[in-house]
Amino acid sequence: MHLNQVQVLLRPRNSWEAMDLGILLARRHAGLLMATWAAITLPFFVLLTLLFWQQPTLPALIIWWLKPAFERLPLHILSKALFANTPRFTDSIKAWPTLLKLQLLASLTWRRLSLRRSFTLPIQQFEGLAGAARQQRVLTLTHKYKQVPTWLTILGIHIEMALWLGMVVLLYLLIPAQLQADWSWSSLLTVSHSEWLWFEHLSNLLYVLVLIVWEPVYVACGFTLYLNRRIELEAWDIELAFQGLAQRLKNSPLLIVFALLCLFPYSDTALAQSAETEVISSASEELDTNGPRLLKQLLNSEQAQQSIKQILDAPPFKTYKITKSWHFNDPSSTEYTSPNWLNQLLKQLSFTIQSLLWLLLLVISVIMLWHYRQWLRAFAQQRQPRQQYNPAPKQRVLGLEVSSDSLPDDLVASAHTLWSDNPRAALSLLYRGLLNHLLEVQALPLSTAHTEDEVLAMSQNLPKPLQCYSQQLTVHWKNLAWGQQTLNHAEFVQLCTDWQQLQSQEAKP
Amino acid sequence: MSQSPADLELSLDPSATHHPEPVNTGAAQSNTTDTQIADHAPSLTTHKIEQQRAQASRLMQALRDELEKALIGQTAVIEGVLCTFIAAGHVLIEGVPGLGKTLLVRALAQCFSGQFNRIQFTPDLMPSDVTGHAIYDLASEQFKLRKGPAFTHLLLADEINRAPAKTQAALLEVMQERSITLEGRSLLVPQPFMVLATQNPIEQEGTYPLPEAELDRFMVKLHIDYPQEQEEQRLVRAVTRSAQADMLENTALRVLLQPRDMQAIQKIASALPVDDQVLNYAVSLVRSTRQWPGLSSGAGPRASIDLIRYARAHALLQGHTFVSPDDVKRSALNILRHRVHLSVELAIEGLQVEQVLQQLLNQVPAPRL
Repeated sequence: MHLNQVQVLLRPRNSWEAMDLGILLARRHAGLLMATWAAITLPFFVLLTLLFWQQPTLPALIIWWLKPAFERLPLHILSKALFANTPRFTDSIKAWPTLLKLQLLASLTWRRLSLRRSFTLPIQQFEGLAGAARQQRVLTLTHKYKQVPTWLTILGIHIEMALWLGMVVLLYLLIPAQLQADWSWSSLLTVSHSEWLWFEHLSNLLYVLVLIVWEPVYVACGFTLYLNRRIELEAWDIELAFQGLAQRLKNSPLLIVFALLCLFPYSDTALAQSAETEVISSASEELDTNGPRLLKQLLNSEQAQQSIKQILDAPPFKTYKITKSWHFNDPSSTEYTSPNWLNQLLKQLSFTIQSLLWLLLLVISVIMLWHYRQWLRAFAQQRQPRQQYNPAPKQRVLGLEVSSDSLPDDLVASAHTLWSDNPRAALSLLYRGLLNHLLEVQALPLSTAHTEDEVLAMSQNLPKPLQCYSQQLTVHWKNLAWGQQTLNHAEFVQLCTDWQQLQSQEAKP
Repeated sequence: MSQSPADLELSLDPSATHHPEPVNTGAAQSNTTDTQIADHAPSLTTHKIEQQRAQASRLMQALRDELEKALIGQTAVIEGVLCTFIAAGHVLIEGVPGLGKTLLVRALAQCFSGQFNRIQFTPDLMPSDVTGHAIYDLASEQFKLRKGPAFTHLLLADEINRAPAKTQAALLEVMQERSITLEGRSLLVPQPFMVLATQNPIEQEGTYPLPEAELDRFMVKLHIDYPQEQEEQRLVRAVTRSAQADMLENTALRVLLQPRDMQAIQKIASALPVDDQVLNYAVSLVRSTRQWPGLSSGAGPRASIDLIRYARAHALLQGHTFVSPDDVKRSALNILRHRVHLSVELAIEGLQVEQVLQQLLNQVPAPRL
């Protein structure tokens, strides 16, 4: 790392200024950053869309989830660009797979939802730390910036949403007014899902396009925040100033010797090698301000130090304030120790309370599960195949038993037997046979509330012979059932033969 | 209809029709079954009855076709009015202005050679303007009764909700008792008598909504809706063809009915057999409105009575010789619409009474055998 090659002015900035620098950085390399981002996300998005055409939410969700993986590339480019080593487009794309190797799983799982993602990504990518070391490093670096990266992410979410909605509204505005007239929110909500697949995919595409613009800026802001923190901690600006100084003094050896002389007292190796060691050491002893010196004067150093100390201890240099607060009993301190029995009691008590709280939690969760069991069951059943939803076939229509079990095997023969004694029952049997046929073979959605004419109206789309037959039978049935008008034997026989013909016709194909 | 008017001239004298049993009104008549008629009446009489029924059906269908010439695109409303007329009830028609509510009534009056009066209800209309009053005659030095417009066969009460409750109540007695008390004397109105009231669902300002008691006296409440596009095109074409402003002045409607014929038809309809199962179905429909979750108040027994009477008229108009569950189910909405109240929650959700009633009709089991 050569700090003199850094393309920005290294100085400590406040956090918002640092993010401003990030935006500037992203703007300077906008072309490369956006092009590389588009090159890795767009093909992936197209592939996802084709794969999940029927589930339009999935592509957007997956792209969103994989953001940390994509963000590594802009960060890589920015870090190179900072040291005037901006990579070319192809090189950047080639570098991406190697960047993915580092702690990808962690980034995509338990660190995915971290709001400080932009700030911790450089720590992970440049320093490659893991485990406790990483934890320590993150703590050190984030010590000053507890809130800023979080706010950056929250701001980012809002910017993404605003841009995305803006694009959707822009598209809406481009629709000619004539077409637009029929649009209303309710109709948008009620139209069947499949007709709007293209619309959902279009909005996904808009989201991916928004990411191309926003994500490089987001990564750059996180990067400059990180940079700023390191400038502060490692005093890069001072180092750079020294380097500049050294550069300037390179050609004047005398001054170097002077500088060395100045630095010698602090260097052990220099003491060992120099010829003038003793002189310097005595000088350094004289420079030691803590020992008693200048003893022969009226005001010796000891007195002077005392009075200095007094002045420094008094206001305005030092102000004493007495504050009282509660503290946990420090076990190492011996000022006061509570009696043993009290300790035991407190321990027992705390253990009991803790157990009770855990028990309460358990009971509440069991109660919640029990209370919402129906809901959970319904939720679980959604994943099961659809066949289970088909209701059992209706047993009764118009108050008649129409299930297959309730009908005799040979319907016509039974009807003939009944005819001589009870014509009503005979015709009823035929009508039940027809209803059973409509219900089970033709699968008409008949219910108990349907009247004869409604059943007839529902059978409009059935094959012509069946339709004619149901019409005839319904007329006879209604006349007999509600008008007490008996049909003659010939008509009954005709109905029976028609039914047999229908059955045989359906059995053939 | 292809019949000429000559075919339709009937001898439907109410005194000439011989029914196998006395025709009752109200709930008692619903016990009539076809088996009873078939068992007790000689076959010749049965045949005659059937003939008369068929004639009555044809006549009413001809009347319907005639009315459809005047009022285009409102078949359901025309049928509703005719059924109510056959069932000897009163009808309340609701619809926005300009849909031909008044036209329908005027056309009916023209096809029916009875008397027709129209009262335009206004906020300052007094009860005596409806029923009539006594005035002092200077020449004879006596009080003379002047009968109000209510003494007629067809009474059109236009925009009934514009008059105050006092005047609306004057109609109550006429509608229920078919008589008017003037100067302590009870005077019968001519038979058949039907009140056709209209009201406007919008523009509720300055109106007096009809009280429940009065609403219940209307057998049906019909909604008159905008006609279909093609029907409206046909209508506009027909009306604008001539310089006349009105449809009635364009089409000459034939006089098909005398008051006496109408009374006979009403009797024939009331003798139409109803199976006990069908009657029970009608009652269970009305009863279920009382416990239905979406309805805060249900319909009373008068609704059951009216439902059966209306279903009889419906069956006659369709040319049926008996009442089937379909007749009941198709009539139920008209009968129940104004007799039930939607619960507050559903009203807030913007549901209509018709939707809830339709739900009810789709769930009450049809009669079993």
